[in-house]
Amino acid sequence: MASEDEINLLVIVVDVNPIWWGQQAQREPELTLSKCLDAVMVLGNSHMAMTRTNKLAVIASHCQDSHFLYPNKNWRGGDNGGEDASSSGDGKYELLSVANNLIAEEIRNVMTKTEVRGNSTETLLAGSLAKALCYIHRVSKEVEVGQEIKSRILVVKAAEDCARQYMNFMNVIFAAQKQNILIDACVLDSDSGLLQQACDITGGLYLKIPQKIALAQYLLWVFLPDSEQRSQLVLPPPAHVDYRAACFCHRNLIEIGYVCSVCLSIFCNFSPICTTCETAFKIQLPQMVKPKKKKLKQST
Amino acid sequence: MASLSEEVLLVVKKVRQRKQDGTLYLMAERIAWGPEGKDRFTVSHLYADIRCQKISPDGKAKIQLQLILHTGESTTFHFSNESSALKDRDAAKELLQQLLPKFKKKANKELEEKNRMLQEDPVLFQLYKDLVVSQVISADEFWANRLGDMNNSDPTPYNNKQDVGISGAFLADIRPQTDGCNGLRYNLTADIIESIFRTYPAVKQKYGENVPHNLTEKEFWTRFFQSHYFHRDRINTGTQDIFSECAKQDEKGLKSMVVQGVKNPLVDLLSLEDKTLDEGYGVSTTTPSTSNANRTVKESSNAAIIKRFNHHSAMVLAAGSRKGQAAQMGTRGILTSSSLLLNPFFSLAIEYEDLQRENRLKTVALNLKKSDRYAHGPVPLQSQHYTTSQDIINSVNHIRHEMVNYKPNLTQVLSSTAASSAITALSPGGVLMMTGTQQAINQMIPTEVQGELKHLYAAAGELLRHFWSCFPVNSPFLEEKVMKMKTNLERFQMTKLCPFQEKIQRQYLSTNLTGHLEEMLQTAYSKFHVWQTRRMLRKT
Repeated sequence: MASEDEINLLVIVVDVNPIWWGQQAQREPELTLSKCLDAVMVLGNSHMAMTRTNKLAVIASHCQDSHFLYPNKNWRGGDNGGEDASSSGDGKYELLSVANNLIAEEIRNVMTKTEVRGNSTETLLAGSLAKALCYIHRVSKEVEVGQEIKSRILVVKAAEDCARQYMNFMNVIFAAQKQNILIDACVLDSDSGLLQQACDITGGLYLKIPQKIALAQYLLWVFLPDSEQRSQLVLPPPAHVDYRAACFCHRNLIEIGYVCSVCLSIFCNFSPICTTCETAFKIQLPQMVKPKKKKLKQST
Repeated sequence: MASLSEEVLLVVKKVRQRKQDGTLYLMAERIAWGPEGKDRFTVSHLYADIRCQKISPDGKAKIQLQLILHTGESTTFHFSNESSALKDRDAAKELLQQLLPKFKKKANKELEEKNRMLQEDPVLFQLYKDLVVSQVISADEFWANRLGDMNNSDPTPYNNKQDVGISGAFLADIRPQTDGCNGLRYNLTADIIESIFRTYPAVKQKYGENVPHNLTEKEFWTRFFQSHYFHRDRINTGTQDIFSECAKQDEKGLKSMVVQGVKNPLVDLLSLEDKTLDEGYGVSTTTPSTSNANRTVKESSNAAIIKRFNHHSAMVLAAGSRKGQAAQMGTRGILTSSSLLLNPFFSLAIEYEDLQRENRLKTVALNLKKSDRYAHGPVPLQSQHYTTSQDIINSVNHIRHEMVNYKPNLTQVLSSTAASSAITALSPGGVLMMTGTQQAINQMIPTEVQGELKHLYAAAGELLRHFWSCFPVNSPFLEEKVMKMKTNLERFQMTKLCPFQEKIQRQYLSTNLTGHLEEMLQTAYSKFHVWQTRRMLRKT
């Protein structure tokens, strides 16, 4: 093959929130974290097997931090291969077996180091996405001059959205849009408005899976093809995204509201003073029509 | 034959046309010629049809008058009366000169205007085809609405003549021709005469004084051209030329201009352009501007020529705006110059940013009291799942326990039943693919049908606009119009809408394309019905 092949980089961000997965394991034992990771590994292997120049990265998104499962420093550092007995046995493409082993080892490390903290129970998804973007940026700088690289991010989401990450999330989404990086989302449990917006803005696919045990099939069918190939395939159509803003006073979603022209804060009702920037506003009331006085008849 | 009620303005006997003797009659609206002895007219032309008239030159033996029509035909009349041929011909010429301009081009203009409007606006043309050609409304109604709008928006009437400007080279354009024996012929037309009068009011004054009492027109002009006034160097201003006074007046005028000074160093060329109100309408008056006449000159022949040129240019510029603006010239001039210097375009040309004082922009600081409101997105407050600390501890322990011995088991990831159910869900028609079947309407309807629908909307919109503009019905004219529009709408529905509906039904297009149109028409009908019942009630 010519060396001008396009490099396709797929970054998979897996939500490994221990609290959600622990509860999930008690609710529905069919899909555990192990099974989820197996499915993700299958997808990663398939991606790397498609073309020799395809690259992969896997990030685990935890509630404490975000961790690179693959590639990581151990692999960069030295040789591999002969040390692991499992890799040499079945004649598998070495890159795939190395990757799998590394991922497994890293996730074990990550999960054993999990501490119990009551205040942070949410997945740090925005941080993981930011790390993914930085990694993509670094890789695209490291390739040879003239070599094209196309990247996309796949988010496998388990837990619910965190409202506090909204600003960071939106920044990440717009940065991805500027860099032409697609963000796809595969949602296991509850719909996520933030990810819907991310997919809509960057041009990726959003899918909420009806059957969790068939996760691998969904991943392979929908998320394995890259953006060029997707135009040739019949894939689930994009869903309607609710872009309504929420008012600053009640946090209700509104369609028509009042916007302060100074600080751009949104309100659902008119108030003469903006509570955010304390600017005073006047609004014209409809003119009152004065009743005409009738002339009294002069009686002679 | 001439109707008896026609007023005869002039009768000229012994006029030959096509080698036949006869009499020429000039009536109120036409010119006619009948052969001698007969009492009918062989030749008759309406003044409206005549484009222009020509006369034979003075030296020729035959004294003739030629009429050229708009169609290009021409008729020649030969005045053959021995004694008074020239007088007759001149009398006829004078009368025609007065009458022709009145009848010029009245009829054609409207038709030309209509054609132009139809050609320029394809939408209008389509509307015309839809409504008039298919006889939904008559052509008169269509144009009544269109031209009425046009005329109502412009207050000035249609036949306002535009002011003609003055060419700077009008004197040079006269271009004398050598007459063979040491003489010069100057061809003066009415336009040139008017330009001379407007530029040099002194000459006009002289003309008014001397013609026709002392000199004939021809003599006046001959003297004019002979005078040194007209020639380049005006050294001999002391002769008893009637134009020597003009020369003195010009000197005075130039001096006063020098004294006034230049009001506007930047000649406002823009004020000289044709600021038309609309096509064919008058020119808005412009403010005068002075030329660069701010120089002291020495009394030498070269200087005299330069002075003449300057004066000529100044008079030409000033003549274009001498229409009663003299009183306002002073204040207006100052205003325009100062406002011009404030004009950002000019200030860019004359001023340099970095040579001026620095102006810091005054800014107002944004004072936010509650800036954390921006951090939250449009995520409404949802009921959070409350996890007890016990739950947390349990979950974490469980997961730790599970993952401590994690080994990827890639051969048992997916069962075939799970896989096949997932595939059915993802195939067209499956659970996840449902929303995709609603295709956009514009992909299902062929383009000709779409185009026809657009035309229908344009035509219906036009009719409905007229209908709704009749309300509230205040006058009997509006009442009539409302009823007419209702019948028009019904006719439109029958002739245009129903065939279209049938057509799309035949093509098995199940979408309801005309529902909205019908709804609009129904609203119009119900409004009409309500109005009609109210009117009946009021009458009874």
